[in-house]
Amino acid sequence: MAKVTLEHITKRYEDVTAVDDMNLDLRDGEFVCLVGPSGCGKSTTMEMIAGLTKPTEGEVYIGDRNVTKLPPKDRGVAMVFQNIALFPHMDVYDNISFGLRLRDYDKEEIDRRVDNAADIVQLEGMLDRMPDEMSGGQRQRVAIARAIVREPEVFLMDEPLANLDAKLRVHMRTELQRLHKELDTTIVYVTHDQAEAMTMSDRIAVIDAGELQQIDPPLTCYNSPENLFVAGFIGSPSMNFVDGEVTQNGLETEYFDVALDPGTIDGLSVGQRVTMGIRPEDIYPVAVDEGLQYPTNRIPARTDVMEPMGDEIFVYLLLEGAQEATMGTESRGSGQLLMSVDPDSDIQEDEEVNIVLDRSKVHLFDTTSGEAITHDITTTPVTEGRAERGETGGDA
Amino acid sequence: MASETSDGPLARWTQGVIEDTEQRNRLYRSLFYVVTLFFLVTTLFPFYWLLVLALTPNSLIRQGNWDLPFLRPQGFNWEAFVEVFQQIPFHLYVFNSFVLALITTVIVLFIASLAGYVFGRLEFPGRGVLMLGILAISYFPPAAFLVPLFEAFTGNVVVLPFVGVELFKPPRLVNTPGAMVLPFSALFLPLSIFILTTFYGQIPEGLEDAARVEGTTRLGALFRVIIPLSAPGVATASVLTFIAVYNEYFFSSIMALSNQPEQWSPLVGGILSYQTQYTTSFNLMAAASVIGVLPVVILVVVAQERIVSGLTAGALKE
Amino acid sequence: MSAEEPESAPTRESRKSGALVSAVRWMENLGETGFAYLLLTPVFILLGAIALYPLLRTFELSLYTNVIGVGDAEWVGFEHYVDLFTGEADSNFPGTTQFLWGDVTVNGEFPFVHVERLLRSALAVTLIFTVVSVFFETLIGFGQALVLDQDFYGRRWVRVAIIIPWAIPIVIQGMIFFLMFHPSAGFATDILAPYGIVAETNTLNDPASGLLLAIVADIWKTSAFMALLILAGLQSIDRSLYDVAKVAGASRWQQFRLITFPLILPTLGVAVLFRTIDAMRIYGLIDISSSCSVVPSLSCMVVSTFTTQRGLSSAVAFVTAGVIAIAVLGVIYQQYREGF
Repeated sequence: MAKVTLEHITKRYEDVTAVDDMNLDLRDGEFVCLVGPSGCGKSTTMEMIAGLTKPTEGEVYIGDRNVTKLPPKDRGVAMVFQNIALFPHMDVYDNISFGLRLRDYDKEEIDRRVDNAADIVQLEGMLDRMPDEMSGGQRQRVAIARAIVREPEVFLMDEPLANLDAKLRVHMRTELQRLHKELDTTIVYVTHDQAEAMTMSDRIAVIDAGELQQIDPPLTCYNSPENLFVAGFIGSPSMNFVDGEVTQNGLETEYFDVALDPGTIDGLSVGQRVTMGIRPEDIYPVAVDEGLQYPTNRIPARTDVMEPMGDEIFVYLLLEGAQEATMGTESRGSGQLLMSVDPDSDIQEDEEVNIVLDRSKVHLFDTTSGEAITHDITTTPVTEGRAERGETGGDA
Repeated sequence: MASETSDGPLARWTQGVIEDTEQRNRLYRSLFYVVTLFFLVTTLFPFYWLLVLALTPNSLIRQGNWDLPFLRPQGFNWEAFVEVFQQIPFHLYVFNSFVLALITTVIVLFIASLAGYVFGRLEFPGRGVLMLGILAISYFPPAAFLVPLFEAFTGNVVVLPFVGVELFKPPRLVNTPGAMVLPFSALFLPLSIFILTTFYGQIPEGLEDAARVEGTTRLGALFRVIIPLSAPGVATASVLTFIAVYNEYFFSSIMALSNQPEQWSPLVGGILSYQTQYTTSFNLMAAASVIGVLPVVILVVVAQERIVSGLTAGALKE
Repeated sequence: MSAEEPESAPTRESRKSGALVSAVRWMENLGETGFAYLLLTPVFILLGAIALYPLLRTFELSLYTNVIGVGDAEWVGFEHYVDLFTGEADSNFPGTTQFLWGDVTVNGEFPFVHVERLLRSALAVTLIFTVVSVFFETLIGFGQALVLDQDFYGRRWVRVAIIIPWAIPIVIQGMIFFLMFHPSAGFATDILAPYGIVAETNTLNDPASGLLLAIVADIWKTSAFMALLILAGLQSIDRSLYDVAKVAGASRWQQFRLITFPLILPTLGVAVLFRTIDAMRIYGLIDISSSCSVVPSLSCMVVSTFTTQRGLSSAVAFVTAGVIAIAVLGVIYQQYREGF
């Protein structure tokens, strides 16, 4: 068990900077996911913790030891790889005990630890199998057992579930969480799947373009993303974004206006270009908005495609005056919003609806820098009357 | 006009070949067997003749009454295979060849493993140029190395070319294994480097990383994971190096100053002894050749897959 | 649980010697480039000492005269090379052999070039040997490869049979053909001489017969090598191309001409270059089947003079290397184009 600290870590290859001045502070016993799109530098970061790659600049600490110059074998880390990386020429027992044998542990100790690890990952009775005689899930368990026996200070897992089928992946997620509870060791987990990161980790480190964007508990990242990237990356389907400009009494976008008092929000000034973000579940059709404490003014729209998911329905909305365009969960044009409604809602395709947004869940970002300005525009309760005026153009 | 009526058997057959796919395929098939048989006979005939010669008593050989074209042995004289070892200690020559081949193979495999790891798995500036350089050096004829090597191996001072600085006085290596193992190693190193580069380059990155995280150094990962997993490649390189040394002529015939087994003269020396000392014992020359061929024939039969893959991988570097 | 690890690991290591540990630590911290060059050191040392040094030293020696046992080396510059190409040096070569061909007379009679003179020239013999043997090896190798590319019962054993000649020692290869054409032991002379293919008497001492012998022996041994390379090329051709051609109505010959041949051509090029380089080194086969004074090759000239005329021998060796270097450049160019 140990904390992991990265100080000003930079990794440059000849013409690319894979990781740029990364600072990370991972607490003892914590399960942290490094998450980001492919090529963002998350794997490189993990390789630098493991020692497989040497940072161009910066220091790596595991516990209180500076391990920057130590080879991987001396860092007290164990790693589980995406392609599982079992030694195909060794049976399960030899694979699991590989690291222990290298360290000259005596036979009884090795046997005890291997049995214990096999027990934890439920591999009893399979110790003499060869890797190619096992299923993908079993192989992954062997890889995990190989990491466990070492009793490392830090577990590193590089997309360990990426090569498993969907059902097994979900199952292994819970297994890993159980494992974390059982072992109580620091786990650093790399994934590009934000859902995996959300469900498993104590904290998520969102990485993009070699830079750390945010490191916070999953719900904090979800509810208070620090910038546009995090807002768009965390959550599925992703957040709706609408570009607009701050006016005296609200926000003006191409297809609708939202009333708010810019004076009450720090960092907001009239004439500023901002991007408003709203998650699909924070958009309500007018009929069901009664319970809402801070609704916005009504926004006229037309329903387009609907995707029933069972527990909810995704409704694609075309704002009044907007052109119909190609739509998909991940690429929404301006003038389009995605709304999530109850499965028993009676909304039909191709009908006119009025929607309201939950103002306590509206995020505002600076369009140019992408930085979050606020995650809540309820500080000045706006009356329906003022909202009406705001909608008609405003003469306050 | 015969073809007009398609009467003659030949004409009918020709017609059939042209029109009938079935018949055409039969023709191709029989042509194929003829060609295959031709290749088999041409490649194997010299061995057959060698055996015939070894089994025929020498007096009958000199009469030269071969019953062409079959060249049956004129009597079976197995004694030649015993006599080969009595006239000269032929087994010692073969033994020398084996020792030289084994030592060379070990040295080449070790050095080529390091180089194969470097070229197959590491990215570094100068990689392409170095590989080309090694390739180029391996093509130069042994004759271009002979004079200075012989000079050095006979114990003359090694002088830095064109500068005239005397470097050191090497031990007298001629008549020792060193005088042959060194040139052999240099000569056959490049092929093994290219074979092992191909094989080591195919081992997934993750396995090496896993080994290193588990507790090996980079070299440890090479010897514990990469090399064991590349066993077919290592076997290929070993077999080819062994055969190459066993078959070598140039340095084998020169670096042992006389054809004495005590001077580490290998197989070449043994066979040459028969040619130069027992100039009329043709059955012994043949018997010695048969014995000398046996080890490689066995090796080829056992390891043909490895040889085929190694030759093509090394030569075409795929 | 893991509390034990940090303590136990160092104690285990300290059992090893400190110098070893620090050397290992140093190696592990080398960058990729440093590590690469470190591991290549043995290659550099071996090839430097056994190939690069001798090559340079050969060139240096070729600029001196040094008749072994006759005084110190004396600087003569490029005189040996001049001697080689003017025929001055020919008296040092065994028998009646020369480096260049002398005046090749062309007197309008068939054969227009007088072959006897050419066959006394080491340069000409090496080139003739190379061109003729590589040509036939390619042809026969191609044939063998086409056979081995088929699926048939016993293919494995046919392949073994074809490879075996490639794998046998040069000394035995030479011995076989020596015996075959030997005046008292052999039978081949009796068969071939009546057709004028080889000399009737003293076959092994006749330059033309000796060269033919060497060429045939080389073709017998090394066609298999060509066959294997070409076979690899054949097997890398996408089989579905043939299905496309069949559907388009191509005959077997057309399939060969339009698909197999063009696709195999690059492989063929590499294989021919390899063999050319190798064939130009010819020595051992000649030495045992006939002799260097009968069939002079460049390597032959080096070996037969290196104990007496060190400078001249070096000059021949360097010229040999130069001739081969031309072919090597071809290979390098080929590799370079493929993006080595």
